[in-house]
Amino acid sequence: MEIRIAQVTKNYFSGGKTIQALSEVDLRISANQIFTLLGPSGCGKTTLLRCIVGLESPDAGEIAIGDEVVFSRAKGIFIPPDKRGLGMVFQTYAIWPHMNVFDNVAYPLQTRRESKEAICKKVARTLKFVQLDGFENRPATKLSGGQQQRVALARALVAEPKVILFDEPLSNLDAKLREETRKELRTFLGELKITAVYVTHDRIEALSLSDEIAVMKDGRIVEIGPPKKIYFDPASRFVADFIGQANLIGGHVSAHDGASTFVVSDIGTVACAARAELPVGSPAMLCIRPEFIRVPAADGGTSLNRFRGRVETLLFVGEAYEGEIRVGKTRLIAKIDPASEIREGDEITIGLDPNRCFLLAK
Amino acid sequence: MFANRNALTPSLIVLVGFLTVCPVLMLVLGSFSEGLEAFGDFTLAKYIQAYSDPSFAGIVLNTVIFTVGSAILCTVMALFLAYLNTRTNIPFKFMFRIISIVPMMIPHILFCVSWVLLLNPSNGLLNLLLREAFSLKASPFNIYTMQGMILVEALLDLPIAYLILAPAMSAFDVSLEESSKVCGASNLRTLLRVTLPVLRPAILAAFILVIVRSLASFAVPSVIGMPGRIYVLASHIYRIIATGFATDYGQAAAVGMSALSASIVLIYLYRYLTSESEKYVTVTSRGYRPTVIDLKGAKAPLFGVVGFLSFLLIVLPVLVLCYVSLLPYSMVPSAKAFALISLKNWVQVVKDPVSLLSLKNSVFLGIVGATLGVSLSIFVSYVIVKVRSGAAGVLESLSFLSFSFPGIVIGVGFMWFFVRTPLYATIWALLIGYIATYLPYGIRPLTSAFIQIHGHLEESSRVCGGGTFYTMRRIVIPLLVPGIVSGWILMATMFVRELTLSVVLSRPGTEVLAVQILRFAEDGLWGKLSALGILMILISTILVVAASVIGGRLTKVERLQAG
Repeated sequence: MEIRIAQVTKNYFSGGKTIQALSEVDLRISANQIFTLLGPSGCGKTTLLRCIVGLESPDAGEIAIGDEVVFSRAKGIFIPPDKRGLGMVFQTYAIWPHMNVFDNVAYPLQTRRESKEAICKKVARTLKFVQLDGFENRPATKLSGGQQQRVALARALVAEPKVILFDEPLSNLDAKLREETRKELRTFLGELKITAVYVTHDRIEALSLSDEIAVMKDGRIVEIGPPKKIYFDPASRFVADFIGQANLIGGHVSAHDGASTFVVSDIGTVACAARAELPVGSPAMLCIRPEFIRVPAADGGTSLNRFRGRVETLLFVGEAYEGEIRVGKTRLIAKIDPASEIREGDEITIGLDPNRCFLLAK
Repeated sequence: MFANRNALTPSLIVLVGFLTVCPVLMLVLGSFSEGLEAFGDFTLAKYIQAYSDPSFAGIVLNTVIFTVGSAILCTVMALFLAYLNTRTNIPFKFMFRIISIVPMMIPHILFCVSWVLLLNPSNGLLNLLLREAFSLKASPFNIYTMQGMILVEALLDLPIAYLILAPAMSAFDVSLEESSKVCGASNLRTLLRVTLPVLRPAILAAFILVIVRSLASFAVPSVIGMPGRIYVLASHIYRIIATGFATDYGQAAAVGMSALSASIVLIYLYRYLTSESEKYVTVTSRGYRPTVIDLKGAKAPLFGVVGFLSFLLIVLPVLVLCYVSLLPYSMVPSAKAFALISLKNWVQVVKDPVSLLSLKNSVFLGIVGATLGVSLSIFVSYVIVKVRSGAAGVLESLSFLSFSFPGIVIGVGFMWFFVRTPLYATIWALLIGYIATYLPYGIRPLTSAFIQIHGHLEESSRVCGGGTFYTMRRIVIPLLVPGIVSGWILMATMFVRELTLSVVLSRPGTEVLAVQILRFAEDGLWGKLSALGILMILISTILVVAASVIGGRLTKVERLQAG
């Protein structure tokens, strides 16, 4: 079901100061999509989620889920969370410690006063779906972190909600379990055909789970797009930096041809993916991901986008070398093949693929 | 959670403010008044009278020796026990749990009486025994001395000091000690140079709390101090209002002012210290298991000491009371003594109308008082933990204030208030006084219960479709039950045995158990006293068991309903 958020603003008062958690947020989340709100802590992403689910009410604006307006300051509408029919997985899982697995999962059905048989059938089906069949009578507190997480998911899904919301659901798991659970979650959500809103500060979670990502900063949405667009071709410096390691180089546009835009920068003239709308002479910011710096440059071809540099440091991190290469006065971070023979201090030539050099609109 | 949050905090502040500030205010006003009838006419006469009394300096000195002495003895014993339990491989560690919980069930006045029965110079059982065994002319022990008072008070406060020190010790960051040992220091040197200094905030907190408790203590000064003519502030106040021809509540209030102000200063110092030491604990408690020190050869003798202490604290008082309740007068256990055993004292107590009335009143106060007190505590704790506004901070400080109340002083304050109301000499006066004085004991377990209920647990119920009341019934209340039960148990047992406030507020018709026991002690009716005392312990035990059973049921009902 589609979610529409219009002009939502929310302020907090703390210690005599006003903190703007959300400022005039406009957002449209398409039906049956996995939509991620990504941003650093304090950017307002959790507040936005809590406004959608009804645990907070915004100071202004309107929120609609499907055809139903669930909140509107102007029209004086506030539907409480228990009447919105959503499912939510909390960061702490919020598994009730005084109930067993069955009761935790059955709870949303019990609040709807469904019949005993219907409850048993639906709980059994949902537990099977999250691969917890046979755990019905376990006390909820006796489960591992990953299992608790799946109980929370089952509880959110059991009443077949219109929308399911996730508030950093993986952040309490250790690194290895987080990776497994992320894959599981992707599979579960892929099978379900459900609108999911997912809040996280972890860019890998965002990139691997989402159909669409909204990056937030200081209570505003900075950029919305599919993961690849956000990663390879971000519109702003903040997003480029936040979503992964990036070499950001200042310069100005010097020329356009059909395929590329040329930028004169600190390391020389670089051919980039075309941005015809930028006039010649206008300042521009180059964004190059470390994995797209070819070290050493491939043999042959033109001298386009080839630069001489010196390897300053070389750090072996397992799947690659993380190298710092100085070109002129600029240090570039590059991911280098771990099998390569390069050593610190070597003078080398690096190559940049013009289609992988992006210009930020600043 | 509660529908009308806005009205809740201010109305609680008014209610708790009335309970805690009213007696203090009345005490202040009373101390500047001529007497209960001439309230409000400003005079300094009572202060001059109270503080120019030639015996007053001696009383203050006694009070200082008594409180500081018992605090030192008690803290040392508690440190010893806490160290043995948390840091050594001493056997039967469950004994420490018993030592820390069970003595709370034995009313202080009965504990004092049992020591009097053992060690009084004329017919104390132990004295008689030693005199017979070694053909001594005089009794070797005399409980009616300052040393006796300090010993008994220290034993009484041992559980509370232990409960402060043991958690601090087990949360201790062992790497601090390990680095000392790596530097070449011995176990003993490490203990003296690293462990104890680092634990200083907790040790000081325990020390100060025991001073406050012994300053408020009335059982020891009345049962042990007064027969030996050793007066401290509490018994001095009692002497002014309850004995002699002219009772003088103005002078009592003037004397009480110094006890109360000392107590308030100390309790806020205590609060500062515990927040300091808790800060320390949270920083370093990362789940390290402290290394256990092998006691080797010292294991058996040290365990002997612990065993002896728990015998003194738990077994001996009950044993002595049982024995004395069955005898016509004090005598050493012998064939002759056992031949005289009868239920005569029990029959007399059960037939005594005043004892029966006091029994009825105490049970009423225990059950109704604890229920009302816990209900109030639920709301107060909710505001303190979940609302967390500036006003909630005010509420917390207000409710913490009564933690410092010396019962007899606050009783005098309430007296000044109640004579002006129709509540005077009714059981409701006692009820209000009890709740005001013991409110922190209900709030404590409930605030920790609320802290455990993470906001997400309620919120997730709301998202799952549970309305406000549904969430209360299925999530909040079941999770609160353990806190409610322990708060109720604490309050009920304290109310059943309450002495210090009651000696002031209890009037003919509103006698309570502890006051009746004090009367028996003053008249030397040890047999009847012991019988009534055992009834008192029985009632406390029944209340504790009943509350635990009901609490268990409530949690089970939730399970059945859901399943």
